[in-house]
Amino acid sequence: MKKVYLVCATGIATSTMLRVKIEDYLEDHGIEADIRQFRVAELNASRLDADVIISTTSIPDEIRERATVVDGIPLITGQGDKEVLQKVVDILNS
Amino acid sequence: MESFLASVGDFLNSVGPLIVLPVVITLLGIILGQRPDRAFRSGLLTAVAFVGIFLTVGLLGDTVSKIGQDFAKATGTGLSIIDIGWPAASALAFGTPVGNLIIPIGILINVVLLLLGLTQTLDIDIWNFWHMAFVGAIVQFVTGSFGLALIAAAVSMVIALFLADWSAPLIQKYFKYPGLSIPHLQSAGYMLYAVPFALVLNRISFLRKLNLDPDTIRRRLGVLGEPIVLGLIIGILLAALARQSVVDVLTTGVNIAAVMLLIPRMVSILMEGLTPVAEAARDFMTKRFAGRKFHIGMDSAILIGNPAVIASGLLMVPIEIALALLLAPLGNQTLPFIDLADGVFVTAMLAPLVAGDVLLTVILGSIVMGTGLIFTTLLSPAVTQMVTAAGSAVSLPSGYASYTVMSDAAIPVTYVMYYIFQSPAILALIISAIALVLLYFLKARFPLGERLFRIDVPSDSDEGVGESAAPASD
Repeated sequence: MKKVYLVCATGIATSTMLRVKIEDYLEDHGIEADIRQFRVAELNASRLDADVIISTTSIPDEIRERATVVDGIPLITGQGDKEVLQKVVDILNS
Repeated sequence: MESFLASVGDFLNSVGPLIVLPVVITLLGIILGQRPDRAFRSGLLTAVAFVGIFLTVGLLGDTVSKIGQDFAKATGTGLSIIDIGWPAASALAFGTPVGNLIIPIGILINVVLLLLGLTQTLDIDIWNFWHMAFVGAIVQFVTGSFGLALIAAAVSMVIALFLADWSAPLIQKYFKYPGLSIPHLQSAGYMLYAVPFALVLNRISFLRKLNLDPDTIRRRLGVLGEPIVLGLIIGILLAALARQSVVDVLTTGVNIAAVMLLIPRMVSILMEGLTPVAEAARDFMTKRFAGRKFHIGMDSAILIGNPAVIASGLLMVPIEIALALLLAPLGNQTLPFIDLADGVFVTAMLAPLVAGDVLLTVILGSIVMGTGLIFTTLLSPAVTQMVTAAGSAVSLPSGYASYTVMSDAAIPVTYVMYYIFQSPAILALIISAIALVLLYFLKARFPLGERLFRIDVPSDSDEGVGESAAPASD
Protein backbone atom coordinates (compact mmCIF):
# COMPACT_ATOMS: atom_id res chain seq x y z
CA MET A 1 0.00 0.00 0.00
CA LYS A 2 1.22 3.51 -0.79
CA LYS A 3 2.29 5.56 2.16
CA VAL A 4 1.13 9.13 2.72
CA TYR A 5 2.85 11.24 5.36
CA LEU A 6 0.95 14.22 6.67
CA VAL A 7 3.36 16.66 8.24
CA CYS A 8 2.92 19.78 10.32
CA ALA A 9 4.71 21.52 13.15
CA THR A 10 3.11 19.52 15.94
CA GLY A 11 1.85 16.36 14.26
CA ILE A 12 -1.50 17.23 15.83
CA ALA A 13 -3.12 20.33 14.54
CA THR A 14 -2.98 21.16 10.86
CA SER A 15 -1.92 17.60 9.95
CA THR A 16 -5.21 16.37 11.45
CA MET A 17 -7.09 18.85 9.27
CA LEU A 18 -5.18 17.42 6.31
CA ARG A 19 -6.09 13.88 7.36
CA VAL A 20 -9.81 14.62 7.59
CA LYS A 21 -9.67 16.09 4.10
CA ILE A 22 -7.41 13.46 2.50
CA GLU A 23 -9.20 10.46 4.03
CA ASP A 24 -12.57 11.69 2.81
CA TYR A 25 -11.25 12.35 -0.66
CA LEU A 26 -9.40 9.07 -1.08
CA GLU A 27 -12.39 7.13 0.22
CA ASP A 28 -14.64 8.86 -2.30
CA HIS A 29 -12.22 7.89 -5.06
CA GLY A 30 -11.75 4.31 -3.87
CA ILE A 31 -8.04 4.70 -3.21
CA GLU A 32 -6.47 2.91 -0.28
CA ALA A 33 -3.40 4.32 1.37
CA ASP A 34 -1.50 4.12 4.61
CA ILE A 35 -1.87 7.61 6.10
CA ARG A 36 0.34 8.71 8.96
CA GLN A 37 0.86 11.98 10.79
CA PHE A 38 4.23 13.40 11.80
CA ARG A 39 5.75 16.51 13.24
CA VAL A 40 8.31 18.07 10.94
CA ALA A 41 11.12 17.94 13.50
CA GLU A 42 10.85 14.13 13.84
CA LEU A 43 11.18 13.36 10.12
CA ASN A 44 14.37 11.46 9.52
CA ALA A 45 15.80 11.25 6.02
CA SER A 46 17.37 7.85 6.66
CA ARG A 47 14.13 6.09 7.63
CA LEU A 48 11.73 7.74 5.29
CA ASP A 49 9.39 5.47 3.34
CA ALA A 50 6.71 7.89 2.15
CA ASP A 51 5.39 7.86 -1.40
CA VAL A 52 4.15 11.37 -0.88
CA ILE A 53 4.51 13.94 1.90
CA ILE A 54 1.79 16.53 2.29
CA SER A 55 2.95 19.30 4.57
CA THR A 56 1.59 22.55 5.97
CA THR A 57 5.05 23.72 6.87
CA SER A 58 8.33 23.89 4.99
CA ILE A 59 10.28 20.64 4.66
CA PRO A 60 14.10 20.40 4.94
CA ASP A 61 15.94 19.80 1.65
CA GLU A 62 17.37 16.43 2.73
CA ILE A 63 13.79 15.12 3.09
CA ARG A 64 12.72 16.66 -0.20
CA GLU A 65 15.45 14.72 -1.96
CA ARG A 66 13.88 11.42 -0.87
CA ALA A 67 10.15 11.91 -1.30
CA THR A 68 7.69 13.94 -3.30
CA VAL A 69 6.51 16.85 -1.20
CA VAL A 70 3.15 18.53 -1.81
CA ASP A 71 2.19 21.85 -0.23
CA GLY A 72 -0.84 21.19 1.99
CA ILE A 73 -1.71 24.80 2.83
CA PRO A 74 -4.29 25.09 0.01
CA LEU A 75 -6.20 22.24 1.69
CA ILE A 76 -6.49 24.39 4.81
CA THR A 77 -7.29 27.71 3.15
CA GLY A 78 -9.65 26.11 0.64
CA GLN A 79 -8.06 28.06 -2.22
CA GLY A 80 -6.58 25.72 -4.78
CA ASP A 81 -7.48 22.60 -2.77
CA LYS A 82 -8.90 20.69 -5.76
CA GLU A 83 -5.57 20.88 -7.59
CA VAL A 84 -3.66 19.62 -4.57
CA LEU A 85 -6.04 16.69 -4.07
CA GLN A 86 -5.75 15.80 -7.75
CA LYS A 87 -1.95 15.93 -7.53
CA VAL A 88 -1.99 13.54 -4.57
CA VAL A 89 -4.30 11.12 -6.39
CA ASP A 90 -2.04 11.23 -9.47
CA ILE A 91 0.99 10.37 -7.36
CA LEU A 92 -0.80 7.51 -5.57
CA ASN A 93 -2.09 6.10 -8.85
CA SER A 94 1.26 6.29 -10.61
CA MET B 1 -27.61 41.73 32.10
CA GLU B 2 -24.83 40.89 34.48
CA SER B 3 -26.98 38.46 36.48
CA PHE B 4 -28.32 36.93 33.26
CA LEU B 5 -24.78 36.31 32.03
CA ALA B 6 -23.78 34.96 35.42
CA SER B 7 -26.59 32.42 35.31
CA VAL B 8 -25.58 31.46 31.75
CA GLY B 9 -22.04 30.93 33.04
CA ASP B 10 -23.26 28.87 35.98
CA PHE B 11 -25.46 26.80 33.69
CA LEU B 12 -22.61 26.05 31.26
CA ASN B 13 -20.36 25.16 34.15
CA SER B 14 -22.85 22.78 35.74
CA VAL B 15 -23.66 21.00 32.47
CA GLY B 16 -19.97 20.69 31.60
CA PRO B 17 -17.94 20.53 28.41
CA LEU B 18 -18.91 16.95 27.58
CA ILE B 19 -22.41 18.18 26.77
CA VAL B 20 -22.14 21.89 25.98
CA LEU B 21 -19.32 21.97 23.44
CA PRO B 22 -20.72 19.15 21.28
CA VAL B 23 -24.12 20.86 21.22
CA VAL B 24 -22.53 24.19 20.27
CA ILE B 25 -20.41 22.53 17.56
CA THR B 26 -23.39 20.64 16.12
CA LEU B 27 -25.66 23.70 16.06
CA LEU B 28 -22.93 25.94 14.68
CA GLY B 29 -22.19 23.39 11.94
CA ILE B 30 -25.86 23.31 10.92
CA ILE B 31 -26.12 27.12 10.97
CA LEU B 32 -23.01 27.35 8.78
CA GLY B 33 -24.54 24.98 6.26
CA GLN B 34 -23.15 21.56 7.21
CA ARG B 35 -25.25 18.44 6.74
CA PRO B 36 -26.93 17.69 10.11
CA ASP B 37 -25.57 14.13 10.34
CA ARG B 38 -22.01 15.34 9.73
CA ALA B 39 -22.44 18.22 12.15
CA PHE B 40 -23.69 15.78 14.78
CA ARG B 41 -20.73 13.48 14.18
CA SER B 42 -18.34 16.42 14.63
CA GLY B 43 -20.05 17.35 17.86
CA LEU B 44 -19.94 13.81 19.19
CA LEU B 45 -16.29 13.49 18.26
CA THR B 46 -15.44 16.59 20.34
CA ALA B 47 -17.23 15.03 23.32
CA VAL B 48 -15.34 11.76 22.87
CA ALA B 49 -12.10 13.72 22.63
CA PHE B 50 -12.85 15.42 25.94
CA VAL B 51 -13.32 12.06 27.64
CA GLY B 52 -9.93 10.94 26.31
CA ILE B 53 -8.21 14.20 27.16
CA PHE B 54 -9.49 14.24 30.73
CA LEU B 55 -8.32 10.65 31.21
CA THR B 56 -4.82 11.46 30.00
CA VAL B 57 -4.72 14.73 31.94
CA GLY B 58 -5.37 12.54 34.98
CA LEU B 59 -2.26 10.54 34.11
CA LEU B 60 -0.35 13.78 33.64
CA GLY B 61 -1.51 15.07 37.00
CA ASP B 62 -0.57 11.86 38.80
CA THR B 63 2.87 11.65 37.25
CA VAL B 64 4.08 15.22 37.13
CA SER B 65 2.69 16.55 40.37
CA LYS B 66 4.61 13.91 42.33
CA ILE B 67 7.85 14.58 40.52
CA GLY B 68 7.35 18.35 40.87
CA GLN B 69 6.99 18.11 44.62
CA ASP B 70 9.95 15.73 44.96
CA PHE B 71 12.07 17.92 42.68
CA ALA B 72 11.36 21.10 44.62
CA LYS B 73 12.07 19.39 47.95
CA ALA B 74 15.23 17.54 46.91
CA THR B 75 16.89 20.39 45.03
CA GLY B 76 15.77 23.28 47.19
CA THR B 77 15.09 25.32 44.04
CA GLY B 78 11.46 25.99 44.90
CA LEU B 79 10.40 25.03 41.38
CA SER B 80 7.17 23.35 42.42
CA ILE B 81 4.71 24.61 39.79
CA ILE B 82 4.32 22.15 36.96
CA ASP B 83 3.94 23.12 33.33
CA ILE B 84 1.10 20.99 31.94
CA GLY B 85 1.71 21.94 28.31
CA TRP B 86 -0.51 23.40 25.61
CA PRO B 87 -2.31 20.23 24.51
CA ALA B 88 -3.89 19.80 27.94
CA ALA B 89 -4.42 23.54 28.31
CA SER B 90 -6.27 23.77 25.00
CA ALA B 91 -8.82 21.21 26.14
CA LEU B 92 -9.15 22.84 29.57
CA ALA B 93 -9.73 26.22 27.92
CA PHE B 94 -12.37 24.89 25.51
CA GLY B 95 -13.97 23.18 28.50
CA THR B 96 -14.54 26.42 30.45
CA PRO B 97 -17.85 28.32 30.11
CA VAL B 98 -16.15 30.96 27.92
CA GLY B 99 -14.49 28.22 25.90
CA ASN B 100 -17.84 26.59 25.16
CA LEU B 101 -18.94 29.76 23.40
CA ILE B 102 -15.64 31.07 22.03
CA ILE B 103 -16.00 29.68 18.50
CA PRO B 104 -19.27 31.44 17.56
CA ILE B 105 -18.15 34.57 19.43
CA GLY B 106 -14.78 34.62 17.68
CA ILE B 107 -16.35 34.19 14.25
CA LEU B 108 -18.86 36.96 15.00
CA ILE B 109 -16.14 39.39 16.10
CA ASN B 110 -14.07 38.61 13.03
CA VAL B 111 -17.01 39.15 10.66
CA VAL B 112 -17.97 42.45 12.33
CA LEU B 113 -14.39 43.78 12.20
CA LEU B 114 -14.09 42.76 8.54
CA LEU B 115 -17.39 44.49 7.73
CA LEU B 116 -16.21 47.64 9.51
CA GLY B 117 -12.89 47.47 7.65
CA LEU B 118 -10.96 47.43 10.94
CA THR B 119 -9.07 44.25 10.15
CA GLN B 120 -7.77 42.62 6.97
CA THR B 121 -7.48 39.18 8.56
CA LEU B 122 -10.07 36.47 8.00
CA ASP B 123 -9.20 34.02 10.75
CA ILE B 124 -9.96 30.47 9.62
CA ASP B 125 -7.89 29.04 12.45
CA ILE B 126 -10.93 28.29 14.62
CA TRP B 127 -8.94 25.78 16.64
CA ASN B 128 -6.69 28.47 18.11
CA PHE B 129 -9.62 30.43 19.49
CA TRP B 130 -8.79 28.44 22.62
CA HIS B 131 -6.05 30.97 23.42
CA MET B 132 -8.73 33.66 23.69
CA ALA B 133 -10.85 31.29 25.81
CA PHE B 134 -7.80 30.81 28.03
CA VAL B 135 -7.57 34.57 28.60
CA GLY B 136 -11.29 34.56 29.36
CA ALA B 137 -10.87 31.74 31.86
CA ILE B 138 -8.04 33.60 33.59
CA VAL B 139 -10.18 36.73 33.85
CA GLN B 140 -13.11 34.70 35.14
CA PHE B 141 -10.80 33.43 37.86
CA VAL B 142 -9.72 36.99 38.76
CA THR B 143 -13.09 38.69 38.62
CA GLY B 144 -15.52 35.84 39.17
CA SER B 145 -17.61 37.41 36.42
CA PHE B 146 -18.66 35.44 33.34
CA GLY B 147 -19.58 38.69 31.55
CA LEU B 148 -16.12 40.21 32.07
CA ALA B 149 -14.54 36.92 31.04
CA LEU B 150 -16.44 37.03 27.76
CA ILE B 151 -15.35 40.62 27.20
CA ALA B 152 -11.72 39.76 27.96
CA ALA B 153 -11.85 36.87 25.48
CA ALA B 154 -13.38 39.20 22.89
CA VAL B 155 -10.69 41.83 23.51
CA SER B 156 -7.96 39.22 23.06
CA MET B 157 -9.61 38.09 19.83
CA VAL B 158 -9.35 41.68 18.53
CA ILE B 159 -5.75 41.87 19.75
CA ALA B 160 -4.92 38.66 17.87
CA LEU B 161 -6.45 40.03 14.65
CA PHE B 162 -4.63 43.37 15.00
CA LEU B 163 -1.31 41.65 15.71
CA ALA B 164 -1.89 39.49 12.62
CA ASP B 165 -2.54 42.57 10.45
CA TRP B 166 0.47 44.34 11.93
CA SER B 167 2.91 41.51 11.29
CA ALA B 168 1.38 40.32 7.99
CA PRO B 169 3.78 42.08 5.56
CA LEU B 170 6.84 40.79 7.45
CA ILE B 171 5.50 37.24 7.75
CA GLN B 172 4.41 37.12 4.13
CA LYS B 173 7.77 38.29 2.82
CA TYR B 174 10.05 36.42 5.22
CA PHE B 175 8.24 33.07 5.03
CA LYS B 176 7.06 33.60 1.43
CA TYR B 177 3.38 33.07 2.19
CA PRO B 178 1.58 35.79 0.24
CA GLY B 179 -1.96 36.39 1.44
CA LEU B 180 -1.58 34.80 4.88
CA SER B 181 -1.38 36.27 8.36
CA ILE B 182 -0.99 34.72 11.80
CA PRO B 183 -3.61 35.65 14.42
CA HIS B 184 -2.19 32.97 16.71
CA LEU B 185 -1.42 34.34 20.17
CA GLN B 186 0.91 31.47 21.08
CA SER B 187 3.44 33.09 18.70
CA ALA B 188 2.09 36.54 17.78
CA GLY B 189 1.48 37.32 21.45
CA TYR B 190 5.24 37.78 21.96
CA MET B 191 5.92 40.11 19.04
CA LEU B 192 4.94 43.49 20.44
CA TYR B 193 7.10 42.93 23.48
CA ALA B 194 10.05 41.56 21.47
CA VAL B 195 10.16 44.36 18.89
CA PRO B 196 12.07 46.95 20.94
CA PHE B 197 14.67 44.32 21.91
CA ALA B 198 14.96 43.21 18.29
CA LEU B 199 15.59 46.80 17.17
CA VAL B 200 18.51 47.00 19.60
CA LEU B 201 19.90 43.51 18.84
CA ASN B 202 19.90 44.20 15.12
CA ARG B 203 22.34 47.07 15.75
CA ILE B 204 24.89 44.90 17.57
CA SER B 205 26.82 43.67 14.57
CA PHE B 206 29.31 41.30 16.29
CA LEU B 207 26.47 39.08 17.54
CA ARG B 208 25.28 38.47 14.01
CA LYS B 209 28.80 37.58 12.86
CA LEU B 210 28.75 34.43 15.03
CA ASN B 211 26.25 33.06 12.53
CA LEU B 212 25.09 29.73 14.06
CA ASP B 213 24.17 27.25 11.36
CA PRO B 214 20.55 26.11 11.73
CA ASP B 215 21.06 22.79 9.91
CA THR B 216 23.91 21.66 12.17
CA ILE B 217 21.86 22.48 15.25
CA ARG B 218 18.86 20.63 13.91
CA ARG B 219 20.95 17.54 13.21
CA ARG B 220 22.65 17.60 16.63
CA LEU B 221 19.56 18.37 18.70
CA GLY B 222 16.99 16.79 16.41
CA VAL B 223 16.30 14.06 18.97
CA LEU B 224 14.81 16.74 21.22
CA GLY B 225 12.23 17.33 18.49
CA GLU B 226 10.78 13.89 19.06
CA PRO B 227 8.30 14.27 21.92
CA ILE B 228 8.54 10.77 23.40
CA VAL B 229 12.34 10.90 23.49
CA LEU B 230 12.30 14.39 24.95
CA GLY B 231 9.71 13.22 27.49
CA LEU B 232 11.84 10.26 28.50
CA ILE B 233 14.98 12.39 28.86
CA ILE B 234 13.28 15.14 30.85
CA GLY B 235 11.38 12.64 33.00
CA ILE B 236 14.53 10.71 33.87
CA LEU B 237 16.57 13.85 34.43
CA LEU B 238 14.10 15.53 36.74
CA ALA B 239 13.28 12.31 38.61
CA ALA B 240 16.99 11.67 39.14
CA LEU B 241 17.50 15.22 40.41
CA ALA B 242 14.50 14.63 42.67
CA ARG B 243 16.43 11.62 44.07
CA GLN B 244 13.75 9.09 43.30
CA SER B 245 14.79 5.41 43.33
CA VAL B 246 16.13 3.90 40.09
CA VAL B 247 12.87 2.10 39.33
CA ASP B 248 10.88 5.27 40.01
CA VAL B 249 13.23 7.30 37.82
CA LEU B 250 12.72 4.99 34.87
CA THR B 251 8.98 4.73 35.49
CA THR B 252 8.70 8.50 35.61
CA GLY B 253 10.63 8.75 32.34
CA VAL B 254 8.28 6.34 30.60
CA ASN B 255 5.21 8.03 32.08
CA ILE B 256 6.31 11.45 30.84
CA ALA B 257 7.02 9.96 27.42
CA ALA B 258 3.50 8.55 27.50
CA VAL B 259 2.02 11.92 28.43
CA MET B 260 3.94 13.57 25.58
CA LEU B 261 2.36 11.16 23.10
CA LEU B 262 -1.08 10.40 24.54
CA ILE B 263 -2.46 13.85 25.29
CA PRO B 264 -1.61 15.14 21.79
CA ARG B 265 -3.27 12.03 20.30
CA MET B 266 -6.45 12.85 22.21
CA VAL B 267 -6.22 16.50 21.24
CA SER B 268 -5.93 15.35 17.67
CA ILE B 269 -9.40 13.77 18.01
CA LEU B 270 -10.69 17.12 19.20
CA MET B 271 -9.13 18.71 16.10
CA GLU B 272 -10.80 16.09 13.95
CA GLY B 273 -14.16 17.03 15.44
CA LEU B 274 -13.57 20.74 14.91
CA THR B 275 -12.17 20.50 11.38
CA PRO B 276 -15.48 20.19 9.48
CA VAL B 277 -16.88 23.13 11.44
CA ALA B 278 -13.75 25.12 10.75
CA GLU B 279 -14.14 24.38 7.04
CA ALA B 280 -17.82 25.32 7.11
CA ALA B 281 -16.94 28.57 8.88
CA ARG B 282 -14.18 29.28 6.37
CA ASP B 283 -16.46 28.70 3.39
CA PHE B 284 -19.24 30.74 5.02
CA MET B 285 -16.92 33.71 5.57
CA THR B 286 -14.98 33.56 2.31
CA LYS B 287 -18.27 33.45 0.36
CA ARG B 288 -19.49 36.57 2.09
CA PHE B 289 -16.27 38.46 1.61
CA ALA B 290 -15.61 37.32 -1.94
CA GLY B 291 -13.85 39.89 -4.07
CA ARG B 292 -12.43 41.69 -1.06
CA LYS B 293 -8.78 41.75 -0.22
CA PHE B 294 -7.92 40.03 3.01
CA HIS B 295 -5.26 37.94 4.65
CA ILE B 296 -6.22 34.39 5.56
CA GLY B 297 -5.43 33.90 9.26
CA MET B 298 -3.58 30.65 9.98
CA ASP B 299 -1.90 28.71 12.77
CA SER B 300 1.73 29.75 13.37
CA ALA B 301 2.50 26.03 12.98
CA ILE B 302 2.84 26.69 9.23
CA LEU B 303 5.96 28.80 9.95
CA ILE B 304 7.74 26.15 11.97
CA GLY B 305 9.45 24.21 9.18
CA ASN B 306 11.72 27.21 8.71
CA PRO B 307 15.28 26.09 9.62
CA ALA B 308 16.00 29.10 11.87
CA VAL B 309 12.73 28.57 13.72
CA ILE B 310 13.37 24.86 14.31
CA ALA B 311 16.99 25.36 15.36
CA SER B 312 16.23 28.17 17.79
CA GLY B 313 13.18 26.28 19.09
CA LEU B 314 15.36 23.25 19.90
CA LEU B 315 17.92 25.47 21.61
CA MET B 316 15.12 26.82 23.78
CA VAL B 317 14.83 23.41 25.52
CA PRO B 318 18.02 23.70 27.61
CA ILE B 319 17.65 27.48 27.80
CA GLU B 320 14.19 27.32 29.34
CA ILE B 321 15.43 24.90 32.00
CA ALA B 322 18.45 27.12 32.71
CA LEU B 323 16.26 30.23 32.89
CA ALA B 324 13.92 28.51 35.33
CA LEU B 325 16.84 27.72 37.66
CA LEU B 326 18.51 31.13 37.26
CA LEU B 327 15.29 33.01 37.87
CA ALA B 328 14.29 30.95 40.92
CA PRO B 329 15.80 33.53 43.31
CA LEU B 330 13.82 36.24 41.50
CA GLY B 331 10.50 34.57 42.10
CA ASN B 332 10.20 31.91 39.42
CA GLN B 333 8.58 28.73 40.70
CA THR B 334 7.70 27.23 37.32
CA LEU B 335 9.31 23.95 36.40
CA PRO B 336 9.34 23.87 32.56
CA PHE B 337 8.01 20.54 31.44
CA ILE B 338 5.61 19.54 28.70
CA ASP B 339 5.90 22.73 26.66
CA LEU B 340 9.65 22.25 26.39
CA ALA B 341 8.67 20.28 23.29
CA ASP B 342 7.19 23.38 21.70
CA GLY B 343 9.77 26.14 21.93
CA VAL B 344 9.28 26.52 18.19
CA PHE B 345 6.02 28.38 18.84
CA VAL B 346 7.94 30.95 20.87
CA THR B 347 10.58 31.46 18.20
CA ALA B 348 8.31 31.23 15.13
CA MET B 349 7.55 34.93 14.91
CA LEU B 350 10.71 36.17 16.62
CA ALA B 351 13.03 34.81 13.91
CA PRO B 352 11.83 37.22 11.18
CA LEU B 353 12.49 40.18 13.51
CA VAL B 354 16.22 39.38 13.38
CA ALA B 355 16.29 38.15 9.78
CA GLY B 356 16.49 34.51 10.85
CA ASP B 357 19.73 34.77 12.81
CA VAL B 358 19.65 31.79 15.19
CA LEU B 359 21.64 33.36 18.01
CA LEU B 360 19.62 36.59 17.98
CA THR B 361 16.37 34.60 17.83
CA VAL B 362 17.45 32.60 20.86
CA ILE B 363 18.36 35.80 22.71
CA LEU B 364 14.91 37.21 21.97
CA GLY B 365 13.38 33.87 23.01
CA SER B 366 15.29 33.98 26.30
CA ILE B 367 14.07 37.51 26.98
CA VAL B 368 10.41 36.70 26.38
CA MET B 369 10.59 33.39 28.25
CA GLY B 370 12.53 34.96 31.12
CA THR B 371 9.64 37.28 31.92
CA GLY B 372 7.34 34.51 30.70
CA LEU B 373 8.39 32.23 33.55
CA ILE B 374 7.52 34.94 36.07
CA PHE B 375 4.12 35.31 34.38
CA THR B 376 3.52 31.55 34.44
CA THR B 377 4.32 31.55 38.17
CA LEU B 378 1.93 34.44 38.85
CA LEU B 379 -0.87 32.86 36.79
CA SER B 380 -0.49 29.46 38.40
CA PRO B 381 -3.45 29.80 40.82
CA ALA B 382 -5.78 30.44 37.88
CA VAL B 383 -4.44 27.50 35.85
CA THR B 384 -4.52 25.21 38.88
CA GLN B 385 -8.17 26.06 39.35
CA MET B 386 -8.87 25.20 35.69
CA VAL B 387 -7.14 21.85 36.15
CA THR B 388 -8.95 20.98 39.36
CA ALA B 389 -12.31 22.07 37.93
CA ALA B 390 -11.80 19.64 35.05
CA GLY B 391 -10.20 17.14 37.40
CA SER B 392 -13.33 16.84 39.51
CA ALA B 393 -14.70 14.83 36.59
CA VAL B 394 -11.75 12.45 36.49
CA SER B 395 -10.59 12.20 40.11
CA LEU B 396 -7.42 14.19 39.62
CA PRO B 397 -5.32 14.51 42.77
CA SER B 398 -6.71 17.96 43.51
CA GLY B 399 -5.23 20.36 46.03
CA TYR B 400 -2.00 18.45 45.79
CA ALA B 401 0.06 20.44 43.34
CA SER B 402 0.21 23.72 41.49
CA TYR B 403 0.00 23.84 37.73
CA THR B 404 0.69 26.36 35.02
CA VAL B 405 1.11 26.30 31.27
CA MET B 406 4.09 27.86 29.54
CA SER B 407 2.53 28.16 26.11
CA ASP B 408 -0.13 30.61 27.24
CA ALA B 409 0.57 31.91 30.71
CA ALA B 410 3.96 33.12 29.44
CA ILE B 411 2.42 35.29 26.71
CA PRO B 412 2.60 38.97 27.66
CA VAL B 413 -0.92 39.52 26.25
CA THR B 414 -2.35 36.97 28.71
CA TYR B 415 -0.56 38.44 31.69
CA VAL B 416 -1.47 42.02 30.78
CA MET B 417 -5.16 41.06 30.56
CA TYR B 418 -4.87 39.30 33.92
CA TYR B 419 -3.24 42.39 35.40
CA ILE B 420 -5.71 44.87 33.91
CA PHE B 421 -8.74 42.95 35.08
CA GLN B 422 -7.56 43.07 38.67
CA SER B 423 -8.65 46.73 38.60
CA PRO B 424 -12.32 47.69 39.02
CA ALA B 425 -14.30 46.50 36.01
CA ILE B 426 -14.96 49.94 34.53
CA LEU B 427 -11.27 50.88 34.68
CA ALA B 428 -10.29 47.54 33.12
CA LEU B 429 -12.72 48.11 30.26
CA ILE B 430 -11.45 51.65 29.62
CA ILE B 431 -7.82 50.49 29.63
CA SER B 432 -8.63 47.62 27.24
CA ALA B 433 -10.40 50.02 24.89
CA ILE B 434 -7.44 52.42 24.89
CA ALA B 435 -5.04 49.52 24.29
CA LEU B 436 -7.07 48.38 21.28
CA VAL B 437 -7.09 51.90 19.81
CA LEU B 438 -3.31 52.23 20.27
CA LEU B 439 -2.74 48.83 18.72
CA TYR B 440 -4.93 49.80 15.79
CA PHE B 441 -2.81 52.88 15.10
CA LEU B 442 0.38 50.89 15.51
CA LYS B 443 -0.70 48.37 12.90
CA ALA B 444 -2.04 51.03 10.54
CA ARG B 445 0.99 53.33 10.79
CA PHE B 446 3.92 51.02 11.44
CA PRO B 447 3.29 47.69 9.77
CA LEU B 448 6.11 45.22 10.34
CA GLY B 449 8.06 44.47 7.20
CA GLU B 450 7.10 47.90 5.77
CA ARG B 451 8.00 50.77 8.09
CA LEU B 452 9.68 48.55 10.69
CA PHE B 453 11.99 45.62 9.82
CA ARG B 454 11.63 46.40 6.16
CA ILE B 455 12.12 43.47 3.79
CA ASP B 456 12.21 44.10 0.06
CA VAL B 457 11.25 41.32 -2.27
CA PRO B 458 11.10 41.37 -6.05
CA SER B 459 7.49 41.92 -7.04
CA ASP B 460 7.37 38.91 -9.38
CA SER B 461 7.44 36.54 -6.40
CA ASP B 462 3.90 37.61 -5.50
CA GLU B 463 2.03 34.39 -5.96
CA GLY B 464 0.35 31.80 -3.82
CA VAL B 465 -2.77 31.31 -1.76
CA GLY B 466 -5.36 33.99 -1.17
CA GLU B 467 -5.55 37.50 -2.45
CA SER B 468 -2.21 39.17 -2.40
CA ALA B 469 -1.98 41.41 0.56
CA ALA B 470 -2.74 45.09 0.54
CA PRO B 471 -0.58 46.49 3.32
CA ALA B 472 -2.30 48.94 5.61
CA SER B 473 -1.50 52.41 4.32
CA ASP B 474 -1.20 55.69 6.19
